[in-house]
Amino acid sequence: MREVIRLSMPLTVWLVSFSALYGLQGFVCAAGWAASPGPAGLAWGRLLMLAAVVVATGLQAMILFLIWSERLGGHSGFMHRTTLTLAVAGLVAALWTFAPAAILPTCDGEGWQEGVWTGGTGGNKMYR
Amino acid sequence: MTEPLKPPRAVALRLHRKLMPIWSPEPGLRGWLSTNNNNNIGGLFLIVATTFFVIGGILAMLIRAQLASPGSAFMGPEAYNQVFTMHGTVMMFLFAIPFFEALAVLLLPGMLGTRDLAFPRVGAFGLWVYIFGGSAVILALLLGVAADGGWFMYPPLSSAAFSPGIGPDIWLLGITSIEVSAIAAAIEVVVTVLRYRAAGMSLSKMPIFAWYMLVVAVMILTAFPPMILGSLLLEVERAFGWPFFQAENGGDALLWQHLFWLFGHPEVYIIFLPAAGMIGTILPVMARTRLVGYGWVVAAAVALAVLSFGLWVHHMFATGIPHLGLAFFSAASTLVAVPTAIMIFAWIGTLWQGRPRFELPMLWLMGFFATFVIGGLTGVMLAMVPFNWQAHDTHFVVAHLHYVLIGGYVFPMVAAIYYFLPLLTGRSRFFKLGEIAFWITVPAFHVTFLAMHWAGLLGQRRRTWTYDEGQGWEVINLIASIGAFAMAIGFALVILDIVVNTLVARPSPRNPWGAGTMEWAVILPSPAYGFASIPVVRGRYPVEDDPDIGVRIARGEGLLGDTSRNRRETLVVSTLHGEPSEVAVLPGNSRLPFVLAVATSTSFLAPVVGAYLVAGLGLLALIVVALIWAWGLGSRVDEGLVDAGHGLSLPVSSEVPDPPGWWGSLLLLLADSVHFGSLLFGYAFLWTVAPNWPPPSYLAPGIIAPVLAGLGAVVLAAGPRLAASAILHGRSPWPGMVMAGMGVSAFAAAAASVVLARPDPAGHAYDATLWLLAGHVGLHVVIVTIMLGFLTARILAGFASPRRIGETRIVQLWADFTALTALVALGAAWLPGAFG
Repeated sequence: MREVIRLSMPLTVWLVSFSALYGLQGFVCAAGWAASPGPAGLAWGRLLMLAAVVVATGLQAMILFLIWSERLGGHSGFMHRTTLTLAVAGLVAALWTFAPAAILPTCDGEGWQEGVWTGGTGGNKMYR
Repeated sequence: MTEPLKPPRAVALRLHRKLMPIWSPEPGLRGWLSTNNNNNIGGLFLIVATTFFVIGGILAMLIRAQLASPGSAFMGPEAYNQVFTMHGTVMMFLFAIPFFEALAVLLLPGMLGTRDLAFPRVGAFGLWVYIFGGSAVILALLLGVAADGGWFMYPPLSSAAFSPGIGPDIWLLGITSIEVSAIAAAIEVVVTVLRYRAAGMSLSKMPIFAWYMLVVAVMILTAFPPMILGSLLLEVERAFGWPFFQAENGGDALLWQHLFWLFGHPEVYIIFLPAAGMIGTILPVMARTRLVGYGWVVAAAVALAVLSFGLWVHHMFATGIPHLGLAFFSAASTLVAVPTAIMIFAWIGTLWQGRPRFELPMLWLMGFFATFVIGGLTGVMLAMVPFNWQAHDTHFVVAHLHYVLIGGYVFPMVAAIYYFLPLLTGRSRFFKLGEIAFWITVPAFHVTFLAMHWAGLLGQRRRTWTYDEGQGWEVINLIASIGAFAMAIGFALVILDIVVNTLVARPSPRNPWGAGTMEWAVILPSPAYGFASIPVVRGRYPVEDDPDIGVRIARGEGLLGDTSRNRRETLVVSTLHGEPSEVAVLPGNSRLPFVLAVATSTSFLAPVVGAYLVAGLGLLALIVVALIWAWGLGSRVDEGLVDAGHGLSLPVSSEVPDPPGWWGSLLLLLADSVHFGSLLFGYAFLWTVAPNWPPPSYLAPGIIAPVLAGLGAVVLAAGPRLAASAILHGRSPWPGMVMAGMGVSAFAAAAASVVLARPDPAGHAYDATLWLLAGHVGLHVVIVTIMLGFLTARILAGFASPRRIGETRIVQLWADFTALTALVALGAAWLPGAFG
C-alpha cells in the first residue's frame, strides 16, 4: 500500500498546492492586500503569492529529489520508475500552472483595476 | 503450473460439478433478487445501463426534432427544458458511469485471476440502489415533473423560488442515491484490484484495464463527495430554507458551481479513463502485439486523473474571475493534453509495432481515434480563455463534449462489448449487421456534431428551446438533426446485432482473439465461480506465456482448488508483489442487499413528497438491515490456518488484523474526508466571497464545550485502541469500550451546544453552516455509537478473540476519524467567535 501512496504523492501534492494557491489568491483579493504597498515597490499580496509559488515549486523539486535518491523508500523497479515519472510530471505541472502568479496582476479582471474593485457586470463585489 | 498435461478431462468436469452448487445463484426470479455473483450483477448492470442509454437517446432525438427547424411547435419550452435536462442527466449519471461499472464488475475478477469481487453483496446493493434511483428519475420525466434546470442544476434557477415543483428534489435525491451506489462500487473495485488477484500478479503485471479502474475508482471516491455535499446543501435549502445559495442571506450561487464542477470535471475523466483502459486492452490484441509503453500509460492515467481535479474552474471562465485565476485553470487545462497524448501515442505505437486486423472491435477503435482527437483539440481551444468567452454556452461546447463523450467513451465501449461478447455470452458473432451499423453510426455522428460546432461558432446558444428564422442556422440544424437520426438508427442496429448474436450465434471457441490476459483462460461463457482454482502467474500475459494455463486451472492445479470446505473462497494477496496472504470467504446468495437497497432508496426518495416519517422509517430499516448484514460476517471460533494448495497454509480473512472490511472502511472514510473537506471549503468560500458577511454575530464557544470536545477526542481515540489491545492480549476490553462511549457522549454534547446556541439555521448562511458542521459531528457520533453497541454485542457473543480483532480495528478507524474531524469541525465553528 505504501507504494501506491508514494505513486500518487507527487501530483497529489501539486493538486493541494494548486488549490491552496487559488485559495490564497481569493484571500489576498478579498482582504485588499493586492493594493497594499509592500517592499521593493510590490504589493504585499503579490509578494505573498510569489512566496507561495516558490515554496510550492520547491516542494515539488524536493519530492522529485527524494524519490530520485530513493530516500522515500521504494526500490521495486516498475513502481519506482513510474513514481519518478510522476514526480517529474509534478514539477513540470508546478512550473507551468504556477507561472501565471509571477506574471499576471493578482486581482485584475472584469471590474478590477490594480487590485481594487471598481465595478463590473461579472458578479458580486468580492473575488470569486 | 508447468508440469506436462496428464490428468484426464474428467478431473476438470468433476471439479466444475462440485463448484457450481457452491457458486450458483438460486433458480428463478428469487435468484435474481438474491444473487451477488459478479456475472449476474454485472450482466444486470449492463442491461439496465443500456436501457437508460436508449432512453437518453430517445430524448436526444426529441431535442433534434425540436431544433430541426426554426420556431418549431413540436415541443413547448416546459417540455423541452425537461427533455434536455433529462438527456444530460440520464446519459451522464444513469448510463455512462453504470455502464463501465458493469463492465468492471463483469470483467475485473477474470482479468485479475480471482473468483469474484471483494464485496459481492455491496455490488448487489449498488445495483439495486441504482435501479431504484434511476427509475424514480425516469418516472418523474414520464409524469412531466422532471427537473428542467439543466443537468448541472445551477441555483438560483434550481432553487425553490424559481423551480418550485418536485422535479429538482427528485433529481437531487435520486442522483445522490446513485452516487452512493457508485461509491459502493468504487470501494469494491479498489479493494479488489489491490488485494484480490492471482498469486504472483504484482502491480507491474496487472492488466492495464485494472490499473485504469483502480485510478477511476479512487477518482470516484474523491470526486463524488463534493457533488453529494452540493446536492445536500441545495436540497436542504429547498426544503428548509437554509440559505447556502441565497445572496441576500450570506449565501452565494457560485458555491454550487464550485462544488458541482469539483465533481463535474473529474467526471469527464472518470468516464474517459475506463474507455482508455478498454482501448489499452483490445488494441494490442487486435494488432497482434503487446501494449507499447505500459509504464508510461500507467503514469499517464494517474497524471490525467490527478490533473483533472485542477480544472474545475474552467467551466466557470465566464463568471467574472480575476485574470490570474483564469490563467491558473487555463494552464492546468492545457496540461491535461500531455498525458492524453502519451496514451494516444502509446496506442499508435502499438498499432505501428503490430499487425492490425480490422475486425469489428477494431473498427470502433478507429472510430474512436478519428473522433476523440478532434474532441481533444476542441477541448484545447476551449481551454483558451478568450475563445472560451466567445464559445461559452453555445452549441460549440455541446458539440465538443459529444465528441469527447461519444467518441472517447461510447465508441470504445461498443468495441469492448463486441470484443468481450464471446466471454459474456459464449458465442462468436455470426450475423454481420454490426459492420453496417458502424458505417452508419460513425459518419452520422460526424455529420451531426461537426454541424453543431458550426452552429455554435455562428452564435447559436445552447439550452434554448427554439430559434428565429434568418440567423443562418436553419440548414445547419436540419443537417445536424438528419445526422442525429441516422446515428440513432446506427446505434439501434448495434443493439439489435448484439442481441441477435447473443441469442442465436454459434458457440465460441476458448480465447477466440488469441488474447494473453487471464479472463480468456476460462471456459465460455465464464462460469459462476470464474476460475476452478486460482492461477499462479509469472508475467503480464499469462495465457500467452502458458497457453495450457486455462486447462490446468480447470483441473484444480492452481490454489484453492479443493472444494471440501464447501464455501465460496478466493485468494487475497499482498498489494505490491501479489504474494498469497490470506483466504477470503465470500458470502453466499442473500436478499439482504435488495432489502437494504429498498430501505436506502425509501429514505432518500420519500422526502421528495414530504413523507418524512416514511423516510425516517426507511432510515431505521436501513440501520437494522445493515446490522443484520454485519452480524452474519465473521466467526465465533478460531479457524487457524487453512490449506490453500501448493503447500501453502493461510489464515482466513476474518483472522487477520486488516480484513477486507477494514480496507473498505478506510476507503469509505477517504470519501468521507473529501466530503468533510468540501464542507470546510464551502465555509471558507462563503466567508471570503459571499456578500452580506460577516453575519450579525458569531457563535461564542465558551469554555465548557471546547473542553468537552478536547477530552472527547482523547478518550474516543484511546478507547477503541485500548479495547483492541486488550482483546489481542486476552484482557478485558470493557475499559476501552467505556472510554469510547464517553468520547462520543462528549462530542454529542459539544455538537448539541452549537445547535442550541444558534437556533435559526435559516437566518444566515453562517448559521446554516454551523448546523452542517454540528450535523457532521452528530452523524459520526451516531455511527460510532451504533458501531460500539454492535461491537459490544459481538464481543459478548464470542466473535472477538486475539486472532479475530479485525472488527475492533474497524471501529477504531471510525473512532479516529470521528475524533479528528469532529475536533476540526467544532474548531471551525468556534474559532471566529473566540477571536471576534
